[in-house]
Amino acid sequence: MDIRLVDYESTTAAGIDLTALRKAIDTQTSGLRSNDFFDSPLNTWIGRITEVDTIDLGEWQSRNNALAALGLEQGSIRSTIDSLIKRFSATRIGIVMGSSTSSIDRTETAYTALTESGQLSDEYRQPLVHNPHAPSLFVAHYTGITGPALTINTACSSSAKVFATGARWLNSGIVDAVVVGGVDTLCMSVLHGFDSLQLVSPNPCKPFDQNREGINLGEAAGYAVLMRPEDAETDLDISLRGYGESSDAYHMSHPHPDGLGARLSMQQALSMAELEPDAIGYINLHGTSSRANDLIEGQLIEKLFPKTTQCSSTKGWMGHTLGAAGISEGIIALDTLRTGLIPGSMNLDVLDDQLDFSIQAENKLAELNHVMSNSFGFGGNNCSLLFSKVAG
Amino acid sequence: MSAHYFSCKVIGCGAWSDSFDSWPALVELLKNKDAVANEIKGPKPEVIPANERRRAPLPVRLAVETSWQATQRAGVDPKELCCVFVSGFGDTQLTDYMCKVLATDSKELSPTKFHNSVHNAAAGYWTISTGCEKAANSVAGFQDSVPLALMEAAIQCHEEQVPILITFFDAPVSAVLTDIMGEGSSFSFSMIIAPEQLSFSEKTSEENILRLNVVSESCDWPVLQSEQPALQRCYSNNPSARILPLLEVLLGVSGTKELQYPISEQLSILLSAG
Repeated sequence: MDIRLVDYESTTAAGIDLTALRKAIDTQTSGLRSNDFFDSPLNTWIGRITEVDTIDLGEWQSRNNALAALGLEQGSIRSTIDSLIKRFSATRIGIVMGSSTSSIDRTETAYTALTESGQLSDEYRQPLVHNPHAPSLFVAHYTGITGPALTINTACSSSAKVFATGARWLNSGIVDAVVVGGVDTLCMSVLHGFDSLQLVSPNPCKPFDQNREGINLGEAAGYAVLMRPEDAETDLDISLRGYGESSDAYHMSHPHPDGLGARLSMQQALSMAELEPDAIGYINLHGTSSRANDLIEGQLIEKLFPKTTQCSSTKGWMGHTLGAAGISEGIIALDTLRTGLIPGSMNLDVLDDQLDFSIQAENKLAELNHVMSNSFGFGGNNCSLLFSKVAG
Repeated sequence: MSAHYFSCKVIGCGAWSDSFDSWPALVELLKNKDAVANEIKGPKPEVIPANERRRAPLPVRLAVETSWQATQRAGVDPKELCCVFVSGFGDTQLTDYMCKVLATDSKELSPTKFHNSVHNAAAGYWTISTGCEKAANSVAGFQDSVPLALMEAAIQCHEEQVPILITFFDAPVSAVLTDIMGEGSSFSFSMIIAPEQLSFSEKTSEENILRLNVVSESCDWPVLQSEQPALQRCYSNNPSARILPLLEVLLGVSGTKELQYPISEQLSILLSAG
């Protein structure tokens, strides 16, 4: 498979755009802060994007849509979309957005302002917002794209799977370009939901560390524009070469003890790209900093990949951005093909003593040809992506 | 650019609502105008282990029940199927529970209800209950859920040459949201599609060819021809029940062999039965 990226952008607590993210990675500057999310009393750290707080979209308003809009204003994403609409027409561009919360933040807020008879007050009567498809409906509205628009909600693998769907749409010929994206915002449901599962860390997260205490939640928006190679006019020279999608068939909120589904998704991505594990220079791991995920994922990496494959979790920069993690971390992985700067695993002091693979806190410089990114979600839903440098 | 056709065969169906509890019961309602709709309670999908079933929310039970029915009718092992689950509204009852708790000072959520609140809960329960390790998707298209999920699954079936279970399901809407969403109803329908040349099942009696074509033109929503009040009610208040006119075409009771659904203001999918 060969699907080209012609543009991509990232908005996280570590940086409002790709340029800021690269700087934060280079200087190992975390965007995490002690929890100050409105009236949430939780003792934890979060990856909050404060620029979202002041955006008001009127009838489309939700924190999630506001972050989706903020993300679309970064870099050249909007102008890339506009020129593709001119080149192909608005019906020939597709949208595939991934999210776990969609706009549930808005529904939460609406419930704090119900009328005396228990109904939505006027400003919250927003059918296009209070539903799981809201992110794609909003992006279509905001960009003027009128091609097929679908939202994928598979929890934390959502915006990794958008690449698989986008690639299939392009290969099938129903569209000439696809805007794939992911957007998820901090809200009470996820903060207190993950707390109810006792997964939230009171301190900055330490993925794969012996003393890790759990996850930090974050918010993010990320976008990539995908095209078939014959149509892609770009000098990025980055190709989506493989994806893997699988199920654990084990438990709703606990990963398979042997990482069965995670193994399948990584092997499928390698097989689609016709590559052996030793070809992979860097893997951006799911690495949530939960006891279970990191142990299982780390043991699997140790079994499947040689020590020449460098790995890290970048959640120490921005937290776990849930449905936006797939694309945010996919972008970090594929950007190393251009920068040669491999992010370290921030906050890693002592590697879990049951693990032995190539991971360390410090950044590294390397010439890379093939990279991967893992995303695993509730329901045992897994997705792995494989990106390659286009050979000169 | 030219039109794009994707062809597949439909090898098994499952159905459930407040007025039918199986695909044959739905066929009877669609084919026979004098058929009487019964009031149905449930469902209690046997494939989910009893202790898990007690904790499974209604939308999950609806979706898993019809998915199981479809695999049984097709004679296919669920482990062999990738799946696409779609719901237009999501689980508004669980959203209601969470938003009410979060509006209080304690904000203490039930961990089980939290993990059940993910949109892919149905896909999760399905793959866990059947031991399916294949790709499981969970998508949303609000009112356009039926044509978008059909398109997504038909393309995946065509591009990857794999059989796919598609399940369309929606449940009654929480009281707070009925003002803007309507009341909703219990409705779930599953169909298994497979590449035409793929042969993996002995049972072929229900095979039906379905062709999907994406066309650059707008269209209106199709009309449900059946006058059964129970079906008309579902069709008007449940995004997933918008599959019903396509079932009339597949059953040959609509007098036409093709049907068009809108997927945007300027785009539609054309479906034809062969």
